[in-house]
Amino acid sequence: MRTFFLEIITPEKTFFRGEVESINIPSVGGACTVMAGHQPMVFAVEPGAIRITADGKTREAFMSEGFVEVRPDETIAFSQAVEWPEDINERRAVDAKERAEEQLRRNRSAAEYRLNRVALARAFARLKVKHHNYMSGD
Amino acid sequence: MADITEIKHRIKSIQDTHQITKAMELISVAKMRKAIQKQSYSSVYLDSVRYTLKDIMLHSTDIHHKYLEHRSNNRAAYIVVAGDKGLAGAFNNNVLNLAWEHMQEHPVHYVITIGQMARAYFEARHQTVDLEFTHAVASPTMHDARGITWDILDLYDRNLMDEVYVVFTRMHTTALHEPTLVKLLPIEAKDIEVDLQNTYSGQLSYDPSPKEVLNVLVPQYLIGVIYSALIHSAASEHAARMMAMSNANKNAEKMLDTLNLEYNRLRQSSITTELLDLSSGRFFSENNLHQKVGQRHGKAR
Repeated sequence: MRTFFLEIITPEKTFFRGEVESINIPSVGGACTVMAGHQPMVFAVEPGAIRITADGKTREAFMSEGFVEVRPDETIAFSQAVEWPEDINERRAVDAKERAEEQLRRNRSAAEYRLNRVALARAFARLKVKHHNYMSGD
Repeated sequence: MADITEIKHRIKSIQDTHQITKAMELISVAKMRKAIQKQSYSSVYLDSVRYTLKDIMLHSTDIHHKYLEHRSNNRAAYIVVAGDKGLAGAFNNNVLNLAWEHMQEHPVHYVITIGQMARAYFEARHQTVDLEFTHAVASPTMHDARGITWDILDLYDRNLMDEVYVVFTRMHTTALHEPTLVKLLPIEAKDIEVDLQNTYSGQLSYDPSPKEVLNVLVPQYLIGVIYSALIHSAASEHAARMMAMSNANKNAEKMLDTLNLEYNRLRQSSITTELLDLSSGRFFSENNLHQKVGQRHGKAR
């Protein structure tokens, strides 16, 4: 299978670098998969799970809001936070979820509502990735 | 010439100070390395965000975003990033003076400080500080940057200000850092400096639309700018402190050298005097000189 070079970058570290076969991203316009030879494009990404396939194995990771840039030579994903399931702090995600739900109930302004919606989406995505334990062959 | 015990005291106190400055230098070196590493990671990220943002702003028509639109008034707000502590050479003063000079030209303003030195500086000049952030200086995290950005956007949304500037110290190398002022809001294509040469020059398409991508990019950009300002400032502070402390070390060593020399000289001369006393006393008694002196005194009487 043809591969392409993928880099996943956060402000704090380079999360992933290497040849992959495909990456599945939760784009704002709907989930989609990027494979080798994709048209150059920039995708806006919502908080959710990404799936990276390399050497026939698929791994799932959490990715916060960001964007993915597909270039002819490589693909770069940018996000505030990207975490493998084992690095996700479940306790913090649960706390964040409860906090966001509480804030949504109060629902003060439109801007806060939007912020809390995104925070809630992040918390849900983290918890989902944590418990999914997506590994090919399982 | 100073007293010998006095010199001893001075040597002791300089040695103590020397020990402290040496420890502070080592700590600053370690902290600076960590900050520089963080900075190199964040600059890769921010450069790409900048590039993509600028690309959309230049090549896509008909984009509207509330943070891109110019407001008619010019009430300026300043976010001033300085250190929490002194003892870092001219680091704090340079950045604070730059902010102060710029403020004199823009009369209506709102001041947001990050770091205790910044607050103290404005309080001393009777400039009210409207909002201050602590804990974000020593080792800035993404979480701090996000919190600060949301608070500022909230104030901006409430229409309390029309322009937001960030004043911080940009670090070029360990020896070269300069205070910088950048415009944060509203975002204008000309304010975005891009030193990144993209390998791909063709037209990129945006999914689902340039507008949607822009909505994601703008907050990322703002958080990125704040985060990089915090990190640059932290790295510069540690570098400035490291240099100040290494100068202090050199001075202390020089002072110790001269004081030790003087101390030894005094000690030697006091030993010489004592020896002289002893030997002359001995010479006196051995030759029964005191008797002769006494006799001579007796005769004279």
